[in-house]
Amino acid sequence: MRKYALLPFNFITILNHEILINELGDFIITPIGTVQKILSHSISDEDLYKTLVSNFFVTEEILPSLLDIYASRLRTKKGFLDDKTSLHIFVLTLRCNQNCIYCQASSQEETSKHCSMSLEDMTASVQMMFHSPSPNLTMEFQGGEPSLEIDLIRHGIETAEEINKEKNRKLTYVLCTNCRKLSDDMLELCKQYNILISTSLDGPSYIHNKNRGREDSYEKTIAGINKARAVLGNEFVSALMTTSELALDYPKEIVDEYVSDGFNGIFLRALNPYGLAAQNEDWKRYNQRFISFYKTAVDYIIEINKHGIFFREEYASIILRKMLTPYTTGFVDLQSPAGTINSVIVYNYDGYVYASDESRMLAEIHDYSFRLGKVTDKYEDVFCGSVAKRMGKIWANEALAGCSSCPIKVYCGADPVRHHSTQGDMYGFRPTSLVCEKNKAIIEYLFSLIVERGDEVLPIFRRWVK
Amino acid sequence: MKERFEIDSNSNVLFVTSQCNNHCIMCCQPPQKDDDFNFCFNQNIKLIKSAPKETKVVCITGGEPTLAGDSFIELVSLVRKELPLTDIHVLSNGRAFSDNEFVHKLKVAGEDKVFIGVPLHSDFFRDHDIISGAKGAFNETMLGIYNLANEGILIELRIVINKLNYYRLPQLAKYIFKNLYFVSWVAFMGMEDTGWASKNAETIWVEPIDYASQLCRAVKELDDWDIPVAIYNIPLCLLPTEYHRFATRSISDWKTRYLDICNDCSVRFECCGLFGTSMRNYQGLKAI
Repeated sequence: MRKYALLPFNFITILNHEILINELGDFIITPIGTVQKILSHSISDEDLYKTLVSNFFVTEEILPSLLDIYASRLRTKKGFLDDKTSLHIFVLTLRCNQNCIYCQASSQEETSKHCSMSLEDMTASVQMMFHSPSPNLTMEFQGGEPSLEIDLIRHGIETAEEINKEKNRKLTYVLCTNCRKLSDDMLELCKQYNILISTSLDGPSYIHNKNRGREDSYEKTIAGINKARAVLGNEFVSALMTTSELALDYPKEIVDEYVSDGFNGIFLRALNPYGLAAQNEDWKRYNQRFISFYKTAVDYIIEINKHGIFFREEYASIILRKMLTPYTTGFVDLQSPAGTINSVIVYNYDGYVYASDESRMLAEIHDYSFRLGKVTDKYEDVFCGSVAKRMGKIWANEALAGCSSCPIKVYCGADPVRHHSTQGDMYGFRPTSLVCEKNKAIIEYLFSLIVERGDEVLPIFRRWVK
Repeated sequence: MKERFEIDSNSNVLFVTSQCNNHCIMCCQPPQKDDDFNFCFNQNIKLIKSAPKETKVVCITGGEPTLAGDSFIELVSLVRKELPLTDIHVLSNGRAFSDNEFVHKLKVAGEDKVFIGVPLHSDFFRDHDIISGAKGAFNETMLGIYNLANEGILIELRIVINKLNYYRLPQLAKYIFKNLYFVSWVAFMGMEDTGWASKNAETIWVEPIDYASQLCRAVKELDDWDIPVAIYNIPLCLLPTEYHRFATRSISDWKTRYLDICNDCSVRFECCGLFGTSMRNYQGLKAI
C-alpha cells in the first residue's frame, strides 16, 4: 500500500463487523479489526484499500484533488437547509370530537369557546408564511380537529392563493383530521384545492377505539377514509399511527390492519413524552418496549415485501435514505441543524408563533420556552429572534457533546425541544436521553439487517427509499 | 466511415482526429501522431453541409475530439446551425472538460441537444489511470463530468469491461450512484478484440461468461436506483434472460456480424450480434 492519510470517518461495531461511516453517511462493512489496521497502515486486503480510497475514507494526496466532490455531496445532503422553512403548521383550534387517551395537544370539548384562531390571526399567519424564502410552501392544518373550523381553512387557503398570484410558490395543503366528521363541504374544499388528508389510525378496532376513547371511532375513521378516497383518490389520503401502551403487544396486527386498508406504508410512531418527565421510569420502560415492538413490526413488514407486496415502514425509509442514497431528506425530527424553525414553524390558535408542533404542546402546560413571537410581529423578529438565537447554538448535533463523537450522528438529528421537555435542558444529556436510545437502537437494527441479510433486504430497502 | 450521412443510421460519424491523450490498453482504434486536424475538419464540414436535415444523430469522435480545442467547438456549432434537429453525441475521455470555460463554450455551441459519452474504467483512480494509460486521467475525467453536469449537458458513462476492472463492477455501480447519480445513463460494454485489445489480450481479455455475475450485480444496483443502464456489445446468449432487457443493438450497423448458429436463434433480431472487426468470438455462443 502507498502512504495515505485519513479523511474524517467513524465506526460502529455490529454483529462482529466494523461499519465505517463517513460524514456523508456512506458506509463500508468490514471485518472486525479493520480500523486498527487502517490506523497502523497494515491493510493487506487490496480490494478493501481501493474501496476506502474511492469512497473518501483515506487519501493518498495531502490535498485530495476530488475533495470538492465530497463537498458537493455534503451540500446535497444538507440540501434541506437551502430553502428555509417550507412546512407551515396552522393549529386552528383545540376543539375536538374525540378523547384520545394520549392526546398531546390538550384538546377541548367540541363546543368549547375561545380556543380557535381568529380570522385576523389567520391572515397575519399566511402573510408571515410568505416571508419564508422557500419555493415550496406546505400549509398543514391541525388541531384539535381542524375540520370543525372549515371557514378558517377556507379563509387561510383563499388568502394564500391571493398572495400567491404574485409570489408564485408551489403551495401544498394538508388537513390532519380524525376523519370522524368529514362533511361534504369539507371534501369539496379538499377537491377544489387538492388538499391532502392525513388521518390517524392506530390499528384494528380494539386498539383504535381504546386509544381514541370512543366505541365507534374505528368504524367512523374507516368510513371517513373510504369517503375521502372516493372523492379525492387513494393517493390523497394517508394515515399515521401512534403506539399506545396497548399497541405495543400487537405489532403484526397493526401492520395487517394497514395492509388490508390498502395503505402502502405505515409510520410506526412512538408516543412523545411531552411534559411528562416526572414519570421518567415509566417512559424508560415504554421506550424499551417500543424498540422491540418496532423491530418485530419491521421484520414482519420485510416478510410482507418478500411476498411481492410493496409496503414500507416510513421511519426506517427516512433513515435508509440517509444510509443508502446521496440525497437529502426533509424529515424534521432527524435533521441537523434541527428541523425546528429551519424547516417547520407553527402558527397557533392563540395568535403566537412556535418553533415546532411540540413547542405549542408545551405551551398548553404553560411552558412558553419556544414561543417565538406574535403572528403580527415582523418575520425577522420571529424567525431570528432571541429564542431562535438560543436554539441556534445547540441545534446541530455535530457540535453537541455526546452527539459529535457518535458514529451514527449523520443519520440522526438534534432535538432541543424534546430534550427541554424530557430533561429540563434543551442541550440534553445523551446517556439518559430516550430519544437517543431509541434512534440508536433503530439505526443499529437497520445496520444489523444489512450485515446479516443484505442480499435479501437491500433490494426491498431500495424500493422503500426511492 | 460513411461518405454521406443517413437519416436513421447510428453511425453518422464526424472523425475529428486520430490523436489521443489517453492510451487505453484496450483501444480499438489506437491513436496516431499525425497532424490531421485540418484535413479532418474540412472533410467534416462537407459531411455536415451535405447531410439530410432530418438526420437523427451525429457522432463526434476520434481519437480524442476535444484535442482540436476551439475547432471542436466550431464543429459542434456548425452541426447545430446546419442540422438544428439533430442530436450531437460526442465520444470523449472527458479530461478536457476539467476546464469549465471549455465546457461552457460547448454548451453555448451545442445548446440542449448534446450528450457526451465518457468512459469510466473504475471507481479506484489508479485502476482507471492504468487502463487509460495516463496518470491523473481519473481526476480530470471526474472533474470534467461534474463540469458537464453543472452546465446541464447530458452524460453517458461508458464502461468497457476488461480483466483489470471486471471484479469491481459492483463497487463501480455503487460509486456511480453515490457520486455521479446525475448521469443520464450508464453503458457496460463488451470489448472489441482489435487494435490494442488484441495486442494486450494476455493482460486484459476476459470472457463475458467470466464476468457475467459481476456485470449483472452492477446492472441490478443501478437499475434498482432507477439509473438507466444498458449493456452494449454482449450477445444475448451470454446474458441471463432477466438481463436481456438491458442489452441493446449497440454495434454500428456496418460492423455487425452474426454467425451461422445465429440463424437458428429465436432472439437474433433483438441481439447486437458480434463485432465484424473482432479477431475472436466470445466463448459460449449458442442459439437460444
